[in-house]
Amino acid sequence: MQRLRSLFVPAVLSAWVCCAPGLFAQEPEAPPSPAAGSAEPPPQEPQNAETPEAPRNEGRRRSGGRRRAIVAIQAGTVHPVSGPAIDDGVVLLRGDRIVAVGKQGELPVPDNAVVHSFPTGHVYPGLIDAETDAFADQNLKNDGTLDGGAELADGLTWNGERDDQLVAGGVTTAYIAVRSGARLRGQGAIVRPMKDGFELWQGKEHAAVELRMTEGPGASHPLQRAQQLEQQGNLFDGLDDFRKAQEKYDEELKKYEKDFEAWLDHHKKKSGQPEKPAEGGEAKPAEAPPQQPGPGGPGGEGRRGGRRGTGERPPRPGGGGGEVSQEEFEEALATLMAVMAEAPTTAQDPKPAEPKQEPKPGEGQPNGPAGQKPEEKKDEGPKRPTWPKKPNPDPTKDALLKVVDGDLPLRVEAHRPDELRTALAMQREHEIPLLVLEQAYGADSVAEEIARQGAMVVLTDLLPYSIVPATVTRHPYAGFDPTTLATKLQAAGVPFAIASGKSRLAPLLPMMAAAAIGRGLSEDAALRAITLTPAEILGVAGDTGSLQQGKYADVLVTDGPLFSTDSRVLLVLARGRTEFEAK
Amino acid sequence: MMRIPRRSPLLPGALLVCVLLPGAQAAAQDVLVQAHRLVLAPDSVLTDSAILVRDGKVAYVGADIPAEARSAARRVDYGDATITPGFVVATSTLGRDADFGETAVAFTPDLRAIEAFDPWQDELKLLPALGVTAIGLAPSARNVAGGIGGLVKPGAAQGRIAEPEAFVGFSLAADARNPERMPTSLMGAKEMLREAFDTAKTGVEIGPDLAVLRQVMAGTRRAVVHADTYAELNAALELSQQFGFQPVLVGAREAAKVLPRLATVGAAVVLDTLDPEGRLATLRLPAQLAEAGVPFCFAGRSDRLRLSAALAVRNGLDRRTALAALTRTPAQLLGLQDRVGALRQGCAADFVVHHGDLLDLGARHVATWIDGRCVFGDEPQQARTATPNTTSAAGDRR
Repeated sequence: MQRLRSLFVPAVLSAWVCCAPGLFAQEPEAPPSPAAGSAEPPPQEPQNAETPEAPRNEGRRRSGGRRRAIVAIQAGTVHPVSGPAIDDGVVLLRGDRIVAVGKQGELPVPDNAVVHSFPTGHVYPGLIDAETDAFADQNLKNDGTLDGGAELADGLTWNGERDDQLVAGGVTTAYIAVRSGARLRGQGAIVRPMKDGFELWQGKEHAAVELRMTEGPGASHPLQRAQQLEQQGNLFDGLDDFRKAQEKYDEELKKYEKDFEAWLDHHKKKSGQPEKPAEGGEAKPAEAPPQQPGPGGPGGEGRRGGRRGTGERPPRPGGGGGEVSQEEFEEALATLMAVMAEAPTTAQDPKPAEPKQEPKPGEGQPNGPAGQKPEEKKDEGPKRPTWPKKPNPDPTKDALLKVVDGDLPLRVEAHRPDELRTALAMQREHEIPLLVLEQAYGADSVAEEIARQGAMVVLTDLLPYSIVPATVTRHPYAGFDPTTLATKLQAAGVPFAIASGKSRLAPLLPMMAAAAIGRGLSEDAALRAITLTPAEILGVAGDTGSLQQGKYADVLVTDGPLFSTDSRVLLVLARGRTEFEAK
Repeated sequence: MMRIPRRSPLLPGALLVCVLLPGAQAAAQDVLVQAHRLVLAPDSVLTDSAILVRDGKVAYVGADIPAEARSAARRVDYGDATITPGFVVATSTLGRDADFGETAVAFTPDLRAIEAFDPWQDELKLLPALGVTAIGLAPSARNVAGGIGGLVKPGAAQGRIAEPEAFVGFSLAADARNPERMPTSLMGAKEMLREAFDTAKTGVEIGPDLAVLRQVMAGTRRAVVHADTYAELNAALELSQQFGFQPVLVGAREAAKVLPRLATVGAAVVLDTLDPEGRLATLRLPAQLAEAGVPFCFAGRSDRLRLSAALAVRNGLDRRTALAALTRTPAQLLGLQDRVGALRQGCAADFVVHHGDLLDLGARHVATWIDGRCVFGDEPQQARTATPNTTSAAGDRR
């Protein structure tokens, strides 16, 4: 365990620092601000001083010039989440960012600022729903054939009234996943709900790989369950081979490029016309296949980046070569040779198109050069290199490689303790840096293990008795109570988010957090579980999740404490835009 | 119109109470229960006050407590918590629909639901943890005239019958229409009731079944009618207008369509407990009913009573009406408001203790008392200074 930890904790940290630079930068700021934003005003004062001219740069992105002005939201209580609540606080926004958070009177508000005042209101950061099926196409939910490469971002749509409720309820960021019957359920997306739709979070369209590691509550034989869970381990089978094959391909590609250059040089020299073939030679590699995989070739970047797009194109010239008949090949070779040998400038333009398609694949054939034209001294010069065989594209394995590399979190839906333990074992075995456990109803018995491994939890079904009615006592899930689980996870030091799980429940997110408070969770922890912690779990804490300078202007204003049942939402701003305003 | 001798529902009930109330005979010591906030009824709240519990009932409230009784009583102080009357479920079969409906015959208004009551039933044991302290045990919706419902209460070990005969249950809902017997249609069901009421109204020699209907028309017994859709509600309202009684409509999913008529007729509604994933129209119905002046309460999943009230508040209902829907209104609908649903003098000492307003889900449920005994959660120490919020285990349900 120790070894494991030392292995991937740095990876977690580094991934974290990359995803959420603001998070750690801000932590030190927060503690010194118990005196209601005393730490935050200093950096802002110069900014405020330059407000009149500065906003222009900020607002340029937006067409509406009016948004450039500072917007001040004054309220009875401001809850920055990153620090203690501020009585009579004020949040200054400009464009889509928060400029400053502090206490009224202490934080100077520019004269030209647009002031929204809520003397008895409460201001919170926009809420974050760490798991919902909002905007997901209904058909996706029934699709048992999804794989790890399926991108849910492609299948999002607007489902009407209920999806509007997200932003009307103060949710400004949401992670979308579907609970289909598939084992790997595609890659979830982070979206920004809006009043009449949504937008994808740029760069977070593929936010995590979704794995189902549960068969649900259907009772089953314990040993059978053990077997089933054991088989979950095979998810990563062949991943190493896949990676090796990819790496080998990359290497071979490089080698091919080198060999091709050498081969070309050889023929340039041999043709005795240093300039013209040189021109022709330049033209060829420029349009020839080597350039095609070129961007995908070097290093691991292309391996990841060129998943589907480039995966299909290059094999065509290479793969096509395998089917060229002997006659075709010889014909092509003859043409090429003719071109190489004599073609002056005229041949250069029209011809290359033909030769480049067939000759190259053709050259790869084993006894190609042994054909008709023995007068070329093939035995002396370098052999025409073979186009390396591209490994079969596998989006699922691509996705899993990203998981193993820490580029994407793995989100595992696991309910019972044995399922959770299997997920944790999987994390240990494959050194998965970012593991998020969804639902995790039975997590109280493995809470310490979760904490030790640095995994995170997304809790849903927090409304009382939403998994199993109280009157049903023989259900396998009858003992699970996510409402009390939150308190236990908090005690064990497991980062957890409270999520709605369903778009229909999104407006009740604060009520779910309140339910956890009713079972012993502190209000601060509950608030964090629907704001900053989910932002961390989603890797967007640098931009949202708390009211801090530099983050998105995602602001929720309510007329009473958020956890009070009858508090009404008065105003919701998402990146500075008004998405909801109470009439 | 001839008067029929009607049985007093109170007398046998009182007898049964005496027989079944555990520990009633052992003249128990008075208990003085104190808390920062004492909600006697939704519109009557005392601060830093107490009730004196004697023999399972509220003997005195607040300043009325005699000094000597106060000093002699065992003292239970819930500190800064809030004491609220326990929840009353207007109608329930406690999960045993089949036992509370005589499927072969559709018209059995004189059957008594308590005959099929099992005081050892598992569901009863769970209710205190959910804040439920009294249930209107009702015939199921499977019979057009199902029978007479009573009031039962959960207890520490077993439940008990608090009132054997309280209201009569009718049903025009789909469940009452059975292809195996008459009536098979809504038309038939309505006609069956109309005929029976007609006979009860005008007939000379009537049996015990029609005698029950006569009590309904005389206003001495509440009629609880299952009806969901517009057509069913309409039928129920027409019957009630024709025969002059104020129905309690159970289910009433489409009550929004007959809203003004409900108020005119003086009908009340027992809504199904709200599903948080339900339609917005359903979630907003309680607020609409309140606005129209129609009394309503919740029944259905007892683990969702509190949530239903909270959801209704979230969707526009005021807190006072929401609290009434859990306590006073169902007691009124059963005609038992002097017995349960409030903490007034003479009512049963049934109450729940929360840290905060129970309509906020963040308020922790500390304890439930039924008939003056703590049946769920912890009793704090007697010391006046003790604060009950240290008893963390109390809130855990399992």
